[in-house]
Amino acid sequence: MSETKNVLEIRDVAVHFGGRGGLLGQSGPVVKAVNGVDLDIPRGATVALVGESGCGKSTLSNTIVGLQAPASGSVRISGEEVVGADKRKLNDIRRKVQMIFQDPALSLDPRSTVGATIAEPLIVRGIAKGKELKARVATLLQQVGLRPEHADRYPHQFSGGQRQRVVIARALALEPDLVICDEPVSALDVSVRAQILNLLVALQKRTGVSYLFVSHDLGVVRHICDRVVVMYLGRFVEMADRDTFFSNPKHPYTKALMSAVPEADPVVQRSKERLILGGELPSPANIPAGCAFHTRCPLATEICSKERPELTPRPDGARVACHHA
Amino acid sequence: MSTAVLVLRQRLRQVPISVVIVSIIFLVIVLLAILAPWVAPTDPAKQNLLARLKPPGFELRGVTYWLGTDDLGRDLLSRTIYGGGVSLSVAVLSVVVSTLVGVTLGMVAGWFRGKIEIVIMRLVDIMMSIPAILLAVLTVAVLGPGFLKLVLVLGLTRWPRYTRVAYAQTLQIANLPFIKASELAGAGAARILFHHILPNIAGPVLIVATAEFGLMILMEAGLSFLGLGIQPPASSWGSIMSVGRQYLERAWWIVAFPGVCLFLLVFSVNVLGDWLRDQIDPRSRSR
Repeated sequence: MSETKNVLEIRDVAVHFGGRGGLLGQSGPVVKAVNGVDLDIPRGATVALVGESGCGKSTLSNTIVGLQAPASGSVRISGEEVVGADKRKLNDIRRKVQMIFQDPALSLDPRSTVGATIAEPLIVRGIAKGKELKARVATLLQQVGLRPEHADRYPHQFSGGQRQRVVIARALALEPDLVICDEPVSALDVSVRAQILNLLVALQKRTGVSYLFVSHDLGVVRHICDRVVVMYLGRFVEMADRDTFFSNPKHPYTKALMSAVPEADPVVQRSKERLILGGELPSPANIPAGCAFHTRCPLATEICSKERPELTPRPDGARVACHHA
Repeated sequence: MSTAVLVLRQRLRQVPISVVIVSIIFLVIVLLAILAPWVAPTDPAKQNLLARLKPPGFELRGVTYWLGTDDLGRDLLSRTIYGGGVSLSVAVLSVVVSTLVGVTLGMVAGWFRGKIEIVIMRLVDIMMSIPAILLAVLTVAVLGPGFLKLVLVLGLTRWPRYTRVAYAQTLQIANLPFIKASELAGAGAARILFHHILPNIAGPVLIVATAEFGLMILMEAGLSFLGLGIQPPASSWGSIMSVGRQYLERAWWIVAFPGVCLFLLVFSVNVLGDWLRDQIDPRSRSR
């Protein structure tokens, strides 16, 4: 298992919160944030994970980087098992997965210079020090389109887009196999989004890194990803290659997401069929029986509230979890 | 090196005038306290029963008592100068002790959570529910009075406030993405606590420390008044004022001069603390 094709292999991962007794012995409801998912990310690929807030996207990303222990299942990074690994091993594996966060204002320590922030992974892992460290930081800054002399500045002296570049430089410092991008452009001005996305694409071409791109912006997803996974209440409801996904969405939830994307052309926008979901996202502490989506689904019939549909392959390669689509 | 000097000079030029003034006041008080044996006109413990409770400017056999005398005819100016050193060192040392203890416990509770958090924070609740002065009185009564014991007692009874602040701030910061990023970088708990959390909670902690500084001087005064603090013939501002309280109608100066000094010291420490807090925050620095 030394040189695997997939940088990430997730098998049947579930993450639960709460349920343990509190200080006074009361026991809260178990929140099933992630409820048995499988996912592979090939080397050099970009996979998008989409879904509305509270569907478990962030919990899943935290589990992948090892900040959140799963209740069950297996997470392999470049073939190495994360779940149940001891501290030293975990630390070694973590080196291969890094993360880019949504809000660049919060993802940099305001009291550290940008240079110190980028250098931190190299220092704590004893990879470089002194002159060599300075040179590596300068190279990283240049790679993300900043100047080496920016290293002495503090985060507040940069714009949002520049800060996100710093965050990217830090994520790349350890030359990871996989970078999880958690809504990396949604906090940025529209004018700089394209710059950051293009930077991510260019860096992928140069380094061969894989991305797990967590987002709810299908426009961005279409621009950058090879494969799309849709998540609803802790489970995947549809997985497909990008072109299949956008030309022929199958799951009613995916269709609803698609119909919510505004079109640039007003004529197209007006003629677009809007599929509006009723109701709210049910609480992950109380997931509906059967298909979790049946409470809001326009196609729902009796079977949907009784039997949970599995992800099944379709002729065009997509995998969909729905009785009717 | 030369650029560092230039930057420093430029930074000093931007210091507001109020900070310059309070720094001067603070330095004068500190210098007088340190140089007490050389600047005090007489021995602070020397009594002159012929010159009891004399007003400022009183002269006797060629000796001028610029700030008057106390109930035993001791020179108030000398006593105030010597007393400043005692008050200042008790306050500084006990603030240092309580900051170290309190902030460490608070960060540990906020970072590790779990059982250690419950133990530390419930201990804080217990400590906060006992009046500090009562706790201090009890401890001194058991350990006995003395300068170092006083520092320890004050320091070890006043840490819960720092713990609360450090704990709340740590909880808040521990959830921010930049801490997560440090964890992903492979940083251990010690590095995260001292490199990332401590610098980010230093501002609020400093504010508590400057407020506590004034309180420490007053606590020391209170304990000295009860005979549990600084033992005569040594004096602190607190002990001078406690004695002077009995003679307030006849000899206002005994309370007034140490009181004014106390006010100036606490005031300047508070202003300096505010300014310092802004200085350690890179966001408020000009580029």
